[in-house]
Amino acid sequence: MAVDNIVYLIPALPVLAFVLTLAFGKKLPSGGGYIPILAIAISCIISILAFLQIHETGIPIEVSAHWFSVLNVGIFIDPLASVMLLMVSFVSLLIHIYAIGYMAHDPGKPRYFAETALFTAAMLGVVLADNILQFFISWELVGLCSYLLIGFWFRKPTAAAAGKKAFLTTRVGDVLFLAGIVILYSSMRAVFLERFPAGIPDGTYLLQFSTIFENISHIDPTHLTIITLLFFGGAVGKSGQFPLHVWLPDAMEGPTTVSALIHAATMVTAGVYLVARTFPMFIASPAVELAGITIPATLTVVAYIGGFTALFASTMGLVMNDLKRVLAFSTISQLGYMMLGLGMGSVIGAAAVGFAMFHLINHAFFKACLFLCAGSVIHSTGTNDLREMGGLMSKMKITGITMLFASLALAGIGIPFINKIVGFPVGTSGFVSKDAIIVDGTYVFAHMTHDWIPFAFGIIAALLTAIYTFRLWFMAFTGKPRQERHPHESPATMTGVLSILAVFALVFGMLTFVPFLDFVNQTYDPEKINHLAELGGNPILEDPMHEIHHIVDHASPIIILLPVIVGVGGLLLAWMIYNRRWISVASIGNMRNPLFVILAKRYYQHEIFIELISLKFTYGVLALTSEFSDRKIVDGIIDGISSFFIGGAEVLKKIQTGVVQNYATATVLGVGLIALILSFRGVF
Amino acid sequence: MLPVSYYLIVAAIVFCIGAYGVMTLRSGIMIMMCVELMLNAANINLIAFASHFSQVNGHVFVLFSIALAAAEAAIGFAILMSIFRSKNNVNIDNINILRW
Repeated sequence: MAVDNIVYLIPALPVLAFVLTLAFGKKLPSGGGYIPILAIAISCIISILAFLQIHETGIPIEVSAHWFSVLNVGIFIDPLASVMLLMVSFVSLLIHIYAIGYMAHDPGKPRYFAETALFTAAMLGVVLADNILQFFISWELVGLCSYLLIGFWFRKPTAAAAGKKAFLTTRVGDVLFLAGIVILYSSMRAVFLERFPAGIPDGTYLLQFSTIFENISHIDPTHLTIITLLFFGGAVGKSGQFPLHVWLPDAMEGPTTVSALIHAATMVTAGVYLVARTFPMFIASPAVELAGITIPATLTVVAYIGGFTALFASTMGLVMNDLKRVLAFSTISQLGYMMLGLGMGSVIGAAAVGFAMFHLINHAFFKACLFLCAGSVIHSTGTNDLREMGGLMSKMKITGITMLFASLALAGIGIPFINKIVGFPVGTSGFVSKDAIIVDGTYVFAHMTHDWIPFAFGIIAALLTAIYTFRLWFMAFTGKPRQERHPHESPATMTGVLSILAVFALVFGMLTFVPFLDFVNQTYDPEKINHLAELGGNPILEDPMHEIHHIVDHASPIIILLPVIVGVGGLLLAWMIYNRRWISVASIGNMRNPLFVILAKRYYQHEIFIELISLKFTYGVLALTSEFSDRKIVDGIIDGISSFFIGGAEVLKKIQTGVVQNYATATVLGVGLIALILSFRGVF
Repeated sequence: MLPVSYYLIVAAIVFCIGAYGVMTLRSGIMIMMCVELMLNAANINLIAFASHFSQVNGHVFVLFSIALAAAEAAIGFAILMSIFRSKNNVNIDNINILRW
């Protein structure tokens, strides 16, 4: 079929755009920005064609070629990859268009557009990969582009430092991910050598997802748990989950478009996508005992880390004064929700992938919109600091309204129960997807396992999300200007994109909820998932799709209402504090309030990570000990050996007199000595 | 016919004279001559055993040995000639450029 033959163009065209922009960008108008836009637009069209074909036939697109040994390169587009593909190419396209306006006055434009084109190519490569190695290679490229773009204004020391911090922190996760791949490879090899003692047959590619999924039940359960935990370690690094989230707020040093594209909409979701992509492995990983320590089932770890991150990051979002940092913490928090949703897979099976992916897509729209609105605000006011803004609504109507819509989506405002009447949920896209995770995910989980902690994480984080989102909006757009600035509305390329994204943030969730889940849930065969969940000892529902509805229908209305109550409650609280000022901000947010101090200091993460772990432990203990042992012990041994030989040579060189007769004498004496010894031993 | 040991003793004496000369003499030419003595001591042994065992192999070997000695003398004297050209004598003690 035609689409199969051109899917390789999806990542190839942005790569071409990268090369062209890098080579000729300086000579072209707008720094060559139109080349990536054209390339990504075509990629987006091909992605739509691929989506339509898969949607129609229900058969995934598979293209694969031999690479070397037992490895291959290939493209695999199933429903999961397809929706991700659409989101990445579409959001990337919109942000590139926006960047033409946003970056108009930056002399580094060609470099900017080349790097974002490469980033888009790498991200599409992650989504399309049909084997874990190709996935990892693209994943690393994505990390590289992130580093380059965070440090885009590299002459600014904070930007250079932020790029380095992001690179090093995600590297911790990447090393874990790579270790997981290595263990997976050796496990798969062992499995195949047992099945085919004569050698692995040609055309079997050990790291291909389909091969891995078919053989999960043969892999040693302990290994499987270790592999999936290591994979999750990679996801924790990339998706900014606790405790590797520290790089994401600093990543806001890059241009706002980069923050929107990479650190909100696409790259940071790669970790979530990794867990979704290898979900069969995750659900089959049981709790194991290793060296006397009980390691819980991987999905439980995913759920708890995700839930905790959602809550933890949203508390810090409450007190940040930098517009982009508030959004950065909200991104971390929302990624936590996605992980939380995936973690619920231990009870609701593959439906969890659907919910998490749905939230991922919705989040991409409303968070890209929020960031681009923030970009528009920063572009016109020239500051990041919320305390210096205020009253922008009168000057920037489109930005203000689009940001309000996106904020409503982030806070998850909607109308519950109507879905019973009209057949689809009514509310902003954030409401639909977050509600799905909290009610259909964590509530069902709590109902089945009586573990209410994930549900509590979700609800409290939702409350805080609504408060910090509307704190931001009220502080920036309402009240009186707190500083003399001359804000102006942004050009049409920027506001046009904002409007498109705002519309998506409002209605995408409503319109696509049911068909989206139907489509994505085709990714994994429910029977196989149930079988794997039994292997992993997960308490999965027998027929998740129907039983979720059943459980939710019989739940107390309070449970269903709670996410909306906390959302609206948060909105009202923010309105009271930051708009009406009924409660004085200064009375809560001052340095005498210990809670505020902890939050403002971001839980002393800087002190813990940089000063305690990095400087005291890593540098003070590890590095200095290694340095001592290297210089004194290792070098000492080497130097000792060489000085022994140098000293010996000083003594022995004296016998080299250069007089041939001395050598002849020595030879004669030597021969005589040998003859003497041999005669004593009775040879002669 | 003399017993073979007589020849061997003569050869050993000649060899020792040659070896002593190589170790102690100063003149390059004298050393070359002493080397010839040592070679010829070996030749005497070969001939002695050849006639003792009535075999022709030893005779053939001696012919090779003499040819080799001639070649060696030619090269040796050529070297001594060039040493003489640069140093104006052939005193071996002065030639120690291979010293440490």
